[in-house]
Amino acid sequence: MTTDAATAQPSPLLAGKNRGFIDRFGDRALYIITLLAALLSVAVVLGLAYKIVDEAAPAMSKFGLGFLTTSNFDPVHGEFGAAQFIYGTAVSSFGALLLATPISVAIALFLTELAPRSSRTAIGTLVELLAGIPSVILGLWGIIVLGPVLNDTIEPALHSVLGWIPLFGGTYSLVGLFPAILILTIMTVPIVSSLTREIFATVPPTDKEGALALGATRWEMIKTVVLPYSRPGIIGAVILGLGRAVGEAIAVTQVIGNTAGIHSNIFLPADTLASKIANTYQGADPSTTIPALAYFAVILFVLSLIFNSVARLLVRRVQSRAGRAG
Amino acid sequence: MESSQRPDHPLLAARTGNLRRRRAANRTMETSAWIAAVLAVAVLVLVIGSVAVKGLSSISLNFLTQNADPNSIEATGGIANALVGTGIMVGLATLMAVPVGILTAIYTNEFAGSRSASTIRYFLDVLNGVPTIVTGIFIFGLIVTAQGHQSGWAGAIALAIVMLPLVARSCQEVLALVPGSVKEAGLALGASRWRTTVSVVVPTALSGMITGALLAVARALGETAPLLFVSSIFATNLSTDPSQALPSVPLVIFQFSESPTPAKHDQAWAAALVLIVVVLLISIVARVLSARMRRRLGAAR
Amino acid sequence: MISRKSILAVACCGVLALGVAACGSSSSSSTSGGSSGTANTPLTGAGSTLIAPLMSKWQSDYSSRTGNTVTYGAIGSGGGIEQITAGTVDFGASDAPLTPDQQKAAADVLMIPWALSSTDPVYNINGVSDGLRLDGPTLANIFLGNITAWNDPAIAKLNPGVTLPSTKITPVYRSDGSGDTYILTDYLSKVSSEWKSKVGVGTEVKFPTGVGGKGNDGVSAVLSKTDGAIAYVGAAYAASNGFNQVAVENAAGKFLQPTLGTISAAAAAVKTIPSNNAVSLTDPPKSATNAYPLASYTYVLAPSTSDKADSLKEFITYAIGPGQSFGPSLLFAKLPSQITSADKATIAKIGG
Repeated sequence: MTTDAATAQPSPLLAGKNRGFIDRFGDRALYIITLLAALLSVAVVLGLAYKIVDEAAPAMSKFGLGFLTTSNFDPVHGEFGAAQFIYGTAVSSFGALLLATPISVAIALFLTELAPRSSRTAIGTLVELLAGIPSVILGLWGIIVLGPVLNDTIEPALHSVLGWIPLFGGTYSLVGLFPAILILTIMTVPIVSSLTREIFATVPPTDKEGALALGATRWEMIKTVVLPYSRPGIIGAVILGLGRAVGEAIAVTQVIGNTAGIHSNIFLPADTLASKIANTYQGADPSTTIPALAYFAVILFVLSLIFNSVARLLVRRVQSRAGRAG
Repeated sequence: MESSQRPDHPLLAARTGNLRRRRAANRTMETSAWIAAVLAVAVLVLVIGSVAVKGLSSISLNFLTQNADPNSIEATGGIANALVGTGIMVGLATLMAVPVGILTAIYTNEFAGSRSASTIRYFLDVLNGVPTIVTGIFIFGLIVTAQGHQSGWAGAIALAIVMLPLVARSCQEVLALVPGSVKEAGLALGASRWRTTVSVVVPTALSGMITGALLAVARALGETAPLLFVSSIFATNLSTDPSQALPSVPLVIFQFSESPTPAKHDQAWAAALVLIVVVLLISIVARVLSARMRRRLGAAR
Repeated sequence: MISRKSILAVACCGVLALGVAACGSSSSSSTSGGSSGTANTPLTGAGSTLIAPLMSKWQSDYSSRTGNTVTYGAIGSGGGIEQITAGTVDFGASDAPLTPDQQKAAADVLMIPWALSSTDPVYNINGVSDGLRLDGPTLANIFLGNITAWNDPAIAKLNPGVTLPSTKITPVYRSDGSGDTYILTDYLSKVSSEWKSKVGVGTEVKFPTGVGGKGNDGVSAVLSKTDGAIAYVGAAYAASNGFNQVAVENAAGKFLQPTLGTISAAAAAVKTIPSNNAVSLTDPPKSATNAYPLASYTYVLAPSTSDKADSLKEFITYAIGPGQSFGPSLLFAKLPSQITSADKATIAKIGG
């Protein structure tokens, strides 16, 4: 970018006789156009929130907050409750986060501390490419490749070794919570690990070097400097990953079995809020079932709001600390 | 960090431990980190490999030129109409989302006060976090019920809503990276605000903006949930008319994946291969552009 | 100098105006396709998955005959009824006739039976081949959850000489609003009073036990993956997927699988057609010795006043006429004459 325009011929920026008027008009015009765009962006969010609350209003007024604790989905009699689906959403998402968090942190550590510098971008890019795989393709892979493998080998193995835990007891199936948890893990690892990587990059190098200078091993340095420093940021990243897992409809509906129920066996089929909407919304009765499903959407929207706000706070805290220290 | 002044600091405590134990712990950690990274790459290879192996055998010129018919019980045809439909809807969505996203980013970075800027950023983050199935319900209620039928336009608008926060946020980041010195140079030469923005700031950030747009396009190409209620009942002939519902590749994959017929599964894999190749190509191009831009901006600082 | 605040106000009004204008223009463009006379208006329909395979043949053949496009979304009979009631499609398709309440809500919708097929109980049990015999009450008990294993004495009694494994029974049902569900529950309500009181008849009922699948495709997929599963699918899906089919005992005591012959026999047993064309063919009387117990007509739901009346009439006439030739290979039997004459009379009622 050359800034020696002052020494060159009269800049094209200064050309034009009525520059004064054009400039004032141009400034105003740009301001208005960009303001309209920004307002449109905000309007979309507000409109979306308004519309789904509006659609859910009949169900919200009929069932109130008890909707969240009732286990029922009976379109024939117009009785609905979200509890089974909230259970499915919770188990599948938290299960995924339980698996994804250590893996993501480990990957982030690998990419920031351990990997040979030359391969860092390559491996980092590969992990991020995982995030770019469309969820419907992960679901297809889950149905045809993962499901049978789980059903034929992994679930029986888990059952025989750990079958005394209710989690792994009972029958296995080609679809269920377990494949859903694994697919969601695959989806959230790239998100959490790339955010965690950024957080690790904000740790002041002087602190790290100081620890190493005192004779700490790599691991001890990470344990005592990097991790405590990054903890709020990691939690923020995990929460953002949680938000992604909670909202995923397509890949989950392909592998979870679409049978709502509250049970402790993760091998059995279940259903989540997002998956039920994907399955049932089209062709549902607009007077009874659609408001109930819209209520599901409101729950999902509120959850995403909460996750977003909490994650922002946490990530902001790490960033401001980096700003002060750096 | 004044660890010498704090005798109970964990580091000093560690020093008094068994060195071999500490080294073993260190090695365990390093091994676990390696395993995690290898695991992630392995899963990537596994998934893409499955798609490649299973999809390649079903790809043919026929597949790319015949149309998809989800109602038929045999697996006939191909995905020609879905390719066209995706192209049209994502194209329209890009035309809607990219300008609005760029202009929003210009507003927050150039004009807005810090409070409005952070409010707008908050709303964009919220929009980014909205599950795409909820976006689908929104557009269904807003446009499809009002019009009385599904349409490619509704699908495009739903995809545009998904793309908008991605474009806007990446443009915001890129615009913020433009060195203040560049902007000040323009203003110092007497150029107006708008001239500086349009002729100086935006061109500097252009490759970054294109990267953001490309990543948003790659995302939109693979989205199924927004289209599920909004453009899913489509004709089986090749149509370029967005006023009626248009088929899309991810939706066709979804429908075929839920079928019991192995032949339809083969078609799903082939469609997945086409989709993944396009998405990955776009992502790689975007990343290359991004790396180049960062190098340029880094040099300019 | 205009203050920033007033610009903000003008901008907000501008955004709102743009939004309203966009909505207005998009809704006006939807009515432009409604030219009445010519038959070259594309039709959009939605509903039954049972008829989807036949509809697919009709779509391509009709398009090559007349150049007219018919778009069809197989979202389940329940969805078809919803959409035609809301007026969001030009025609609906349902295997279940409209209930009195539904007819009241869709007062101008006519029911025209345009195909004849059946819902087949199918199963996937390791070690058991095709043709397992079940009677109505046993079938009801299985879906009620009263019988839980395949080697239950009630099943063994009907199948002497067949070695039945102890595999658990997993009933698979339709999770969406389904005409196949209607046909099954209609039949089960007639042969089991427990079913009638506990669950009842409908396109969407609360199945006491089992696993759900969406559409005939979804149920077929679940069935093929689950050992010990029993489901009910449209005849075309049972045949094309090669599922093992139950031989259901009819009122005359014969154990029958669905074939063109047994389905036609069931249709022949009902000679009088009511004025709204809603006919139930399930559980035919004893006199129909060769009738399959779970046969059913499937209906097109057409509005009696539509600006696409001519197109609709032409398409439906095609479907009950030349379109029927595609039926037999997909296990759709020929419509009997009493139905075709009733249909023609009803089609004449569709006006612009």
